[in-house]
Amino acid sequence: MTRAVVVLGLVLLFSIAVAVSVGATSVSWRAILDGDATARAILFGIRLPRVFTGALVGAILAVAGLTFQTLLRNPLADPFILGVSGGAAAGAAVATAAGWARVAGVVPVIAFAGALLATAAVFALARRGSHTDPTRLLLSGLVLNAFFSAVILIAFALSRQSDLTAALRWMMGTLFGASWSDAALLFTLLLVGVIALATMANDLRLLVFGEDDAKSRGVDVERVKLAGFVIASVMTGAAVAVSGIIGFVGLLVPHLIRLVWRRDFRALLPLSAIGGATLLVVSDIASRVIVTSAELPIGAFTALLGVPFFLSLLRRSR
Amino acid sequence: MIAVSGARFAYGDRLALHDVSLDIGETALVALAGPNGSGKSTLLKLLARVASPSAGDVQFLGRSLREWNAKQYAQQTGYLPQEPDTAFPMRAIEVVVSGRAPFLTRFGFETDEDYEHARVALEMCDASHLAERYLDEMSGGERKRVFLARVLAGEPKLILLDEPLAALDVAHTQQFSKLLRNIVDRTRATVVFASHDLNWAAAYSDRIIVMDNGGIAADMSPDELMQPEVVQRLFGFSAETVRVNGKPWLVPRT
Repeated sequence: MTRAVVVLGLVLLFSIAVAVSVGATSVSWRAILDGDATARAILFGIRLPRVFTGALVGAILAVAGLTFQTLLRNPLADPFILGVSGGAAAGAAVATAAGWARVAGVVPVIAFAGALLATAAVFALARRGSHTDPTRLLLSGLVLNAFFSAVILIAFALSRQSDLTAALRWMMGTLFGASWSDAALLFTLLLVGVIALATMANDLRLLVFGEDDAKSRGVDVERVKLAGFVIASVMTGAAVAVSGIIGFVGLLVPHLIRLVWRRDFRALLPLSAIGGATLLVVSDIASRVIVTSAELPIGAFTALLGVPFFLSLLRRSR
Repeated sequence: MIAVSGARFAYGDRLALHDVSLDIGETALVALAGPNGSGKSTLLKLLARVASPSAGDVQFLGRSLREWNAKQYAQQTGYLPQEPDTAFPMRAIEVVVSGRAPFLTRFGFETDEDYEHARVALEMCDASHLAERYLDEMSGGERKRVFLARVLAGEPKLILLDEPLAALDVAHTQQFSKLLRNIVDRTRATVVFASHDLNWAAAYSDRIIVMDNGGIAADMSPDELMQPEVVQRLFGFSAETVRVNGKPWLVPRT
């Protein structure tokens, strides 16, 4: 596991270095070392916070996806299927329709609230007595997603044309304008989230054997499920609030890691975080360099890059 | 060692167990028999602390399971669910070593010693050759052997097995029935196992508890159970008893 972390970590560092040096304006390392003010402003004010924010969003989405898959014992679970992202998007769409989106900082807050409300709703719908059934959780998420799609469509129909462009860009996922404070917020959440999940890792990994089995091994299954769900949802909510909807990372990355290393939750946790960060940083590079005149949606590239890689691994595995 | 008093349990509206009381001592091989849906699995779940009774109590070593710390109880017991499986592909050795989980510290990984326990357990279950294989490449019976090894890897004092003999081939049914006896004799553990095969349940057990409709219909020695009129009354099973080397075997009447 240590070797895998080192290998993936080096790949991540390399992609960050590349991501920082490419962009619409070429910034040479020499200019930065020479103390060129413009070059330094681009590097420290724009590129670095953007690249770090991207890496953190990727890490968070992958860790959240891994956690949901583990909790629900279902390889299809991810923040999108469970309605967490949908809730955030619906919140943002309503804010756009109401015209609040023009006030800076409102969309992230409402999106975050939407994500948490969606989580609470999915959990409440799936709960029967003191037990939360994984299949009902997935179904509730699926149904709520349909509801959120309807809310988004209606909200967009009611929005002013001028507000829609920003809203659509957010819906497609973007790291444009990411700041150091975004990166700091996400870093804190990722750190707290990963540490909290690590303290439960020995319990979480036993869920792979089923809830009854885990209970017989001394795991407080309902407590672990609730805690894991809250941690993953808060992290996802914050990531979506900062970057909009970026798909596939939460679903793909844990599976990619599993296909290569086939280990349990304890090893998958750090590996998924690094893998998710890498996928997003590489996708960010692609979204900025393929067409230099415009920024393409990063969410499209996480899928464009991730899917072929995933399919080739899937074909090679038994 | 473990005692149930007046236990009751329901799945929603369906009553699965009612007024169940029994006392199981140390170093015993106890078989649970009874038709499908009679409450065998539910009783095992109560004993394994997977479910708690809505009325009544279960006590282990004189202390209610409600008062036992979950991890400490897990260190003393092992439970094999009816259809053990994993949500994601895993190698047998990783499955077996996870039986050591209750002994790990919060951030701990399994030590070489834990792997040694796992290898010994695999050996006992005649499954050493499966160690590096993935579960999804195994037959149902091979998987069962791996999961039984997982239970044994924790060296539990109380072993609860839900139909450990189902899905095993004839040779392994025979071998496993003996293995359960050996575990009891060698480790002084108590094994409670559910089984539909009366012959193998009776062959090595000290005691057979017959469940019916959520209650205990009979609690007797194998010799007492293996009588034509008794199995007719309890199971509606029409059979003759033959004795081979002193052991009673049921042969169906045709």
